[in-house]
Amino acid sequence: MLSQIVSALGVVVVAVFACSAYFYFSNKILDLALPVKDGGMRAATRNLNRRAMIRPWLFLGPALFLLIVYLVYPVIATLILSFYDRSGSSFVGLANYQWAFGDREFRQSILNNILWLAVVPAACTFFGLVIAVMTDRIWWGNIAKSIVFMPMAISFVGASVIWKFIYEYRGGNDVQIGLLNAIVQLFGGTPEVWISVPFWNNFFLMVILIWIQTGFAMVILSAALRGIPEETIEAAVIDGANGWQIFWRIMVPQIWGTIAVVWTTITILVLKVFDIVLTMTNGQWDSMVLANLMFNWMFRGGGDSGRSAVIALIIMLAVTPIMVWNVRRANRELGGN
Amino acid sequence: MKKILLMGVAAAALVAGAASAADLKFPPGQDTKFNWKSYDEFKAAHADLKGEPLTIFGPWRGEDEAFFRSILAYFTEATGVDATYSSSENYEQQIVIDTQAGSPPNVAILPQPGLLADLASKGLLTPLGEENSKWVKENYGAGDSWVGYGTYKGKDGKDGYYAFPYKADVKSLVWYVPENFKEAGYKVPTTMEQLHDLTDQIVKDGGVPWCIGLGSGGATGWPATDWIEDLMLRMQKPDVYDKWTTNEVKFTDPAVIAAIDEFGKFAKNASYVDGGVAAVASTDFRDSPKGLFAVPPKCYMHHQASFIPSFFPEGTKLGQDADFFYMPTFAAHADLGKPVLGAGTLVSITKDSKAARAFVEFLKTPIAHEVWMAQSSFLTPYKGVSTAAYANEQMKREGEILTTATTFRFDGSDLMPGKIGAGAFWTGMVDFVGGKSAEDTGKEVQAAWDAIK
Repeated sequence: MLSQIVSALGVVVVAVFACSAYFYFSNKILDLALPVKDGGMRAATRNLNRRAMIRPWLFLGPALFLLIVYLVYPVIATLILSFYDRSGSSFVGLANYQWAFGDREFRQSILNNILWLAVVPAACTFFGLVIAVMTDRIWWGNIAKSIVFMPMAISFVGASVIWKFIYEYRGGNDVQIGLLNAIVQLFGGTPEVWISVPFWNNFFLMVILIWIQTGFAMVILSAALRGIPEETIEAAVIDGANGWQIFWRIMVPQIWGTIAVVWTTITILVLKVFDIVLTMTNGQWDSMVLANLMFNWMFRGGGDSGRSAVIALIIMLAVTPIMVWNVRRANRELGGN
Repeated sequence: MKKILLMGVAAAALVAGAASAADLKFPPGQDTKFNWKSYDEFKAAHADLKGEPLTIFGPWRGEDEAFFRSILAYFTEATGVDATYSSSENYEQQIVIDTQAGSPPNVAILPQPGLLADLASKGLLTPLGEENSKWVKENYGAGDSWVGYGTYKGKDGKDGYYAFPYKADVKSLVWYVPENFKEAGYKVPTTMEQLHDLTDQIVKDGGVPWCIGLGSGGATGWPATDWIEDLMLRMQKPDVYDKWTTNEVKFTDPAVIAAIDEFGKFAKNASYVDGGVAAVASTDFRDSPKGLFAVPPKCYMHHQASFIPSFFPEGTKLGQDADFFYMPTFAAHADLGKPVLGAGTLVSITKDSKAARAFVEFLKTPIAHEVWMAQSSFLTPYKGVSTAAYANEQMKREGEILTTATTFRFDGSDLMPGKIGAGAFWTGMVDFVGGKSAEDTGKEVQAAWDAIK
């Protein structure tokens, strides 16, 4: 343990030092290569301009390089792999794509992903907004907010483990230790093995993500609500608007941009959902999602790089438009204000 | 200050000096139940490897890792090789990543021949050579079967010997509590027909015969595959079993359907299983055997491999508080003999080196087996070991099942492609217990298999 901490600290120190050294010395070299001191006024101006042109690339360089190595290259490699067989050695054309759309499990995953997309971002945003509005004007609002926000600090796997105990089932006449089953039993119902009920188990898994992410939506939306000018609300009150009208006609339109950002951020997260499904069901009982399907094809029993590449690309294609839209929107807002 | 420093140095020296001797669980040459001669011979033959690096990747974690390290200590002591062992919770994924990334360990130890065959076909394993396959054939119980499980097609499409078996599990076991049997007047069944009768008798007496738990997190369903495989061997000839694992006999074949249905007779009968059918898929396999030890017993029998005593309640004395019997065969299929279903870990070389070869040589010495046998949780089909070294009577009996087996068959799901054996088959079993018919289950698994061809 101690040795890990020491080596981790060591790496941090070395990395920070190396980074500053890179910027310092590359700057120095640039200054030396394009001097402004001697050579007359014209040369100095020219060199000064050139410096200004090169310097941003110098500073961006490492980031660009890493972006290419860790993002652009893998995407291209994945694209190429998707046309090859399982070991990536012989070209099979579109066979992997053909397989994907004919595969029952694949279609199931797409369907489940759509289900997740329809429910989770909407639920998180809705609950986040409702909680943000409701806790805004009560004295214990901040305490309530902290409690709602807390699950954000738990890892997905940790949260899944907690929820496993909520859905836990004990057979026969055993005492139910699962919270949900205990409640069901209290009201005279029969306990269920919740996570193995096809179709509905998707929702039981979604609840976990909603539980984690509502806090995120709440914090962002709460900040946006604070930013609404008091005058608009006061004006509405004077005009005789009730709470409902104030919420829907005054508040929501003014924070519409933030709602969209929260919504899309969670949407991207949902498309990548993996840990929860892996921990709870590993895709059994028809609860498979794309990320888990890709993982299974890639790493179970030797793996199939062709098919997993196809699934990876499909996930990427699904995420990209939302990302683009999100970035555009952010740009517009920055430029507009 | 100086004094403290000196004391520290002295203490460090003491610890370092003691380390090599303390690492060896049983001092060489002392205990006569071990074959120290083999160790000395090995030591003499491999003295020239001092300082050579050797990386070993294996599935053993926790207690088993400690046991394996104790074996490794003998290897290091004998050769001076600088050996490091590492493992991963997701070893199946890790080894694929490591080998394909071009940074494999020297030696990979895996319990799945199917996965190894896959690695071999991609040219990621080094052949061990004929002298090793010959050795296994001659020295292991049912040696031919073991050689078969280490023989795969290489990148060139030619058969080669790639994996050396080391450490085995017996799966054809039914666990019970002798005291409960005695109290109720039940006898250990010797035929499957008797087992059926006993099951009915227990129900008639107001008890629950079986504890079955298929839960295993992401691997939920695998304990059922053991049942099916055991039943396959008891209802069909071994070659049907072999063809089944390669899909020459399809999952939709009547032979397979019959085995699945036979399992269903036990698992899908609410009065046969503790907690009812719904509990079968959801009960964790680690929790499942605990029903045997409840008072009054929640169940009388539990079908599980030789490793399961690790999950018995603490303080359970094997032979006294819990015992096993061989999963019986059908009197109606007497011609099938007494087949043994098992599993095991296979050692293969993923990056060739002299030290890696020496390690495989080391595994041929009885000492490499006996030291682990004496500690627990280790069975071996190696006929050259002294069975007196086994830690207890139960392990000895299990070990003898292995060394005297005529028909030994490896866990079928581990032989199938990962997508089936560690995927569709599991899911299929969960669906089957959940209410699907054996025919539909077979169709589903077969469809998954067709998709990877």
